[in-house]
Amino acid sequence: MRNHGGKFLTNGRKSVDTLRENKKKGITGSGKKPVPVKKPEIKKVKEVHIPLDREETKAASGRPFWSGSITIGLVNVPVRLHTMVRDRSFSFRLLHREDGQPLKYDRVCTRDGRVVPWKDTVKGYEIRKGEFLVFEPDELKAIMPESDRKIRIDRFVYYLSLDPMYFDSSYILVPDRSEEAYGLLVAAMQDLGRAAAGTITLRTKEYPVVVHVYDGALVLTTLHHADEVTQPHASFLIPPITVPKEKELILAKRIITDLTGDFSINDYPDRYHEAILDLINKKLAGEKIVYQESHPEEAKELMQALQETIATLARK
Amino acid sequence: MLIHHPFQSEILFDPHRQLPVMAGNLESRGGTLRNLTRVSLTRLDKVLYPAAGITKQDVLMYYIRVAPFLLPFLYNRPVTMHRFPDGVGGEGFFEKDAPAGTPDYVEIFNHWSETAEREVHFVLCNNLDSLIWIANLASLEIHSTLSTTSAYNSPDLLLFDIDPEPPLTFDDVIEVAHVVKDHLKTRGIRPFVKTSGKKGVHIVVPLVAGYTFSEVRDFVHGIGKDVARDTRRVVSEFPRSRDKGTIFIDYLQNAHGKTMVAPYSLRATPGATVSTPVHWEELHKGIRPEDFNIKTVLSRDEEPWREIFDKRQKIR
Repeated sequence: MRNHGGKFLTNGRKSVDTLRENKKKGITGSGKKPVPVKKPEIKKVKEVHIPLDREETKAASGRPFWSGSITIGLVNVPVRLHTMVRDRSFSFRLLHREDGQPLKYDRVCTRDGRVVPWKDTVKGYEIRKGEFLVFEPDELKAIMPESDRKIRIDRFVYYLSLDPMYFDSSYILVPDRSEEAYGLLVAAMQDLGRAAAGTITLRTKEYPVVVHVYDGALVLTTLHHADEVTQPHASFLIPPITVPKEKELILAKRIITDLTGDFSINDYPDRYHEAILDLINKKLAGEKIVYQESHPEEAKELMQALQETIATLARK
Repeated sequence: MLIHHPFQSEILFDPHRQLPVMAGNLESRGGTLRNLTRVSLTRLDKVLYPAAGITKQDVLMYYIRVAPFLLPFLYNRPVTMHRFPDGVGGEGFFEKDAPAGTPDYVEIFNHWSETAEREVHFVLCNNLDSLIWIANLASLEIHSTLSTTSAYNSPDLLLFDIDPEPPLTFDDVIEVAHVVKDHLKTRGIRPFVKTSGKKGVHIVVPLVAGYTFSEVRDFVHGIGKDVARDTRRVVSEFPRSRDKGTIFIDYLQNAHGKTMVAPYSLRATPGATVSTPVHWEELHKGIRPEDFNIKTVLSRDEEPWREIFDKRQKIR
């Protein structure tokens, strides 16, 4: 079960740790030699880029995601939209175990198994199992919302009255040679504690949005549509809630009060992200990756036994 | 929120109180065993003792907990693993040689075997991880030699292996064991005893350095003959060893390369019995080998073999 983390580097070369491991095995002198792996081509690893410092390189300074203007009545404030939320998740490529080559997906006809080129595809909406309404690309294009490059603001609301439940993703609004109007909007909204509500059309979809002041800049947040969010009681997931006893309530409140503090997102590091990064670096450095099955509950018991035994052995 | 016991909940929720050490450590380790053991534990929920519902996790827990007693005994003593990958009831096999993939932390003792006419790579169980690795291989039983690597051809343990043939029982074995003990005592020898975990007992004498296997074998055989002469149903010769209603005092295990099941080793019996060191006073009629099992042995306060290597003796 060892060495699961991947036997090959991306170019199909046998990984360092496998080689080291075989070399080190002096146990069975006449043991099996590592089977040579067929590889269509051998490239040298030039440099493996690890997205360690993507933070700097891929900050908001990059290309705008969208450009247009905020429209309030007759007033236009030209802005560019920049990504604010970065997806840090690692993506692994799927490889062929035998030769380490990346795999690709094909559109395959479910009837004859043949690969179908893009130009021969249409979209279908399944009305009954196996029955489709066919739409040509033009038909769908006709109903696409017009992207008029506008963030249409139709009212201002108290920012704190917004329910974060509906927040989807946020973007930084950057003035597009409109510093004066932008600055005025920031100052006025900040003073009044208001956010602007309206709509934006991104690609093919129209979203409700709010624009609010954050760190001296305007930030746009797209919202979920009302029917995309399930209300807890409408879902029948919540059983009837009983009225708590007075004493219990007092105690619960006291505990909550005691635990009350300032929220800091930095208190919640992304452990999985760190672990993957660590794994990649270890593998790059040629360290052996040991596969560890995760059994949280069992692990707890075993860990306790281990800790106690290690302590006992240390005393001996 | 379940708050019923004010005292308990205050402890749980008090933000200033340090969390219990275990919980804190678990957290920082991301819930893995990796920092405690180098062994990749596998198939923890595999049932190894179907009749008793004992899983591999239970077996690992047992060996981890018993390690402080077992490891000092096994030190530098080549082990033979009796593995049961499909549990008790499935097929078991003995493994003397370090299998392919034996990790680096398991020490190996290379020794030329005259009988096998090749070099055998014995596994040594010289550290906790080795023991965990052995247990993880579903090696329920751990057998070890009667000599150590420092003088492999010279036994440092002498063994009487006493087993009953039906209809004789463990009670009869106990009787004979005491007779053997008394014979030894008249010669000024202090023997140690353990249950075999099956039907019999093992009487062991720790020896000073320098004996050969044939000297020890002859000595044990001699005592056996003496006891057989005076005691009904006891046989000292191998050809009669399987006769109905007899008890054979086996001296033949005192030979180069032969092994004895280690003290505190589990046995592949339905009830997960343990070959358990006992005090001579504990060894009286009515006790059963099954009384000493994976569940009971750890709660014994007794450590009858604690001084075994401080009491090395001469035989005469």
